[in-house]
Amino acid sequence: MVMINKVKAWLEDGTVDVFLGYKEIDHHPLPHCFTSEHIEDVADLVVSPVRYPLEKIATHMTAIEPDIKIGMLARDCNNRALNVLFLWNQIKAENIKTLSVNCCPSKLKKHGDCSYLEPEKMGAFKKQVGVDNNLEAEDLDAYGQKERLDRWMYEFQKCIKCYGCRNICPVCFCKECSLEHDELVKTGPLLPEIPIFHMVRAVHMAGRCIDCGLCEAACPMDIPLRLLYGKVNEIVMNLFDYETGSSAENPPFSILGDAVTLEPKPIEAAQTA
Amino acid sequence: MTVKRITFLQELLGLIGLEGRLGLSWISSAEAQKFVQVVSDFTEKIRSLGPNPLPAFSDSRKAAAAELMQLDFKGDGYDQQSQSMA
Repeated sequence: MVMINKVKAWLEDGTVDVFLGYKEIDHHPLPHCFTSEHIEDVADLVVSPVRYPLEKIATHMTAIEPDIKIGMLARDCNNRALNVLFLWNQIKAENIKTLSVNCCPSKLKKHGDCSYLEPEKMGAFKKQVGVDNNLEAEDLDAYGQKERLDRWMYEFQKCIKCYGCRNICPVCFCKECSLEHDELVKTGPLLPEIPIFHMVRAVHMAGRCIDCGLCEAACPMDIPLRLLYGKVNEIVMNLFDYETGSSAENPPFSILGDAVTLEPKPIEAAQTA
Repeated sequence: MTVKRITFLQELLGLIGLEGRLGLSWISSAEAQKFVQVVSDFTEKIRSLGPNPLPAFSDSRKAAAAELMQLDFKGDGYDQQSQSMA
């Protein structure tokens, strides 16, 4: 109730022009844009385990109306994504007002990620030939080089190229996408090129992925994308000491305003490799 | 920027089991001997790793795709297929 009153107050006094939250429609909490014209709708604002990238909607709104003031519900993953979007100048920080909601209010959950759900159990076949989505990147080192390749290729070859991972991703905002560029990754009706399709996306997630896990939740083929991008983040952390989404510092791969802080160590490593 | 990206990519390729196949060196146009050394060493390294394993995967996928394209999705091709299989 406190939350609803606060949103009402924000809309009424013009702190925000619109408020992005969830409204239950036919028992489905769906993203909804609350406005002062329909202030009575705010009574239906709900918080539930359902997650959508609200900040992505905010990005699209800002692209059309750059000065719109947007309020939104934000879990920790939303806040991390917002940090990235501020950094990449997709949204102005002063135009966003967030209403923080708890990530994991349930006491049932030990797993400390943003999802309320217990981690999914993997089937026996996937465990045998593929990559278990619940593994950590280090666990994969236990497999030999050949086996690791086979397992990843098993996962990648399931891909039906629905672009769901890209479409749901809160930090995917490019107008032109490499994955739809015929000369980089073959487009067309059937079967993406592997592993290039997934690797291109993984590379683009470096310094951007905020580990919200929406890509993996959206993937109809259950490819362990969170693990893949998690590894990407780990590399960025180990090599460049950069934690994505936590700060307003420039990411290591941004060309503009690039401060040369890199020790010569990786150059040596690259030469001897 | 290059060293950042290449170092990053080497690690990433390592995750999916393609390690050791990407190298980066700075060689000036005056360093002919270094160039020869680097290229020979890397050639030797790649030779010991064997051929690129990726084409094998794409070949099997191409075969699968060709098979799929032959199926008649429009009419009652599915039924005929299952009948002929039964």
